[in-house]
Amino acid sequence: MKNKIEVAVALLSLGITAIESQAAITPPSFHFQVGSAGAASGGEACNFGSATQASATEWFFQGACAGLSGTSMSWSYMVDQDPFITGTFSLTNDTALAKSYVVDFSLPISPAISQSTVSGQVSGTLTDSNGSGSASLTSTSGGAVYTALADGLFVQSLMTNTNQSVASQFGTVSFSGGSFGQGAPLAGPSINSTIGIHFAFTLSAGDSVSFSSIFVANSVPAPGALAMALLAGAVGRRGRRRFE
Amino acid sequence: MKTNIAKNFVFVSGIVFALSSETNAGFTSAGALFNVVTSAGSGAPTNAVTQISPYAWGNTGGWTGSQASVSWANDIQGWNPTTGAGFSNANIVIRNNTASAQDFLVTVSVLGTATGPFVAAGSLGGQYVNGSGSLGSLTSTGPLWTAGIDGTTVNSQLNSALFFAQPYQVVSLGNFNFSNLQIASSVSNNFSIQYSLRLSAGGEASFTSAFSFQSVPGPASIALIGLMPFVRSRRRK
Repeated sequence: MKNKIEVAVALLSLGITAIESQAAITPPSFHFQVGSAGAASGGEACNFGSATQASATEWFFQGACAGLSGTSMSWSYMVDQDPFITGTFSLTNDTALAKSYVVDFSLPISPAISQSTVSGQVSGTLTDSNGSGSASLTSTSGGAVYTALADGLFVQSLMTNTNQSVASQFGTVSFSGGSFGQGAPLAGPSINSTIGIHFAFTLSAGDSVSFSSIFVANSVPAPGALAMALLAGAVGRRGRRRFE
Repeated sequence: MKTNIAKNFVFVSGIVFALSSETNAGFTSAGALFNVVTSAGSGAPTNAVTQISPYAWGNTGGWTGSQASVSWANDIQGWNPTTGAGFSNANIVIRNNTASAQDFLVTVSVLGTATGPFVAAGSLGGQYVNGSGSLGSLTSTGPLWTAGIDGTTVNSQLNSALFFAQPYQVVSLGNFNFSNLQIASSVSNNFSIQYSLRLSAGGEASFTSAFSFQSVPGPASIALIGLMPFVRSRRRK
């Protein structure tokens, strides 16, 4: 009987190992969506490019989307379900009119975080791509260009009431969109399922914008776990003293 | 750094070259030519070309290695025979996912010919993202960005670049613009934009840049334009 149980346990652990290794080679369901004037395009990022495993928990997504008429977009993002999202996307408005865009990136997290700290940052460039002599990037309706989301809900925003412009032919302007929680992470919400970054902006005709951004969430150890960790340190020190 | 890559590192990706049936004022190619040389691996880049206007094309593509990548989109290049203007504009992202520093040399060229002299303008802007848990850097031993005609540099920006970023932080590389640059020579083969840089482990650099030039009317053309009102007034009389 004991032998049978041991065999069953061994098979079970083998199965768990197999499931774990299978999970390790499946990229996370990193989603993007780009929308303008009521039309939207997007889906699983890996269906619009490639997904490469960079480490045990990190995945690198690279791709492009020209699904939205008159708009071309490419991205390069590193994500970790533990979790963070960091990377760059570039978008060009190839139409003859200024357009308002909404671009969303969303990543499922694992494990859920009961209490988080958060940090984020955004920076970008705006270029007069068609040589018209001007380019502009503004917040849509005075809102924020960058919004960090947890479970689809607001966490922090950056670049509120933004108005960036280029006044020379084929000129470029770089802008720092600010940051939050860098150095000293801010207290964040509990996060059950996803983190994301939401971009909303209006871009002039024929011009390009590129955003590099980061959103990181970390788990805050629960008071019980913190006490245990402190106790473990104290016990360890007492043990060493006794040994000496 | 270019010499280092040539001498010390394993080559190289390759070239993507898209042809079009149109021929515009000596520019026989509607497509851009992309060349990626990196110490982080090898392989051929891909590229898809879309015509945006009669004289402008968009390019989307890149090179993806096992641990590094270069991607571009919205690279627009063209030549307008009516205005006598050519331009190349590139949004490029370069990523190093390896555990050590890597060198990258990326060239975007437009093949063709055009008669000088020209007046040129251009710009460069960018960001550096440190996606690693330790201090990261973006450097270049020579100019990070060069605009060239037939392989000769006509303008360069960010000479000996040196940027540091804390873990998981974004650093703006600033913006650099130039205009009214007089170029006496003609284009006999190509005009190009080139990036040359070294990225530490987990680093990502993204750039938007443009390089354009416009034909300057010769003295005879200017004299002709100057004579036009005189001829018209004589006719009216």
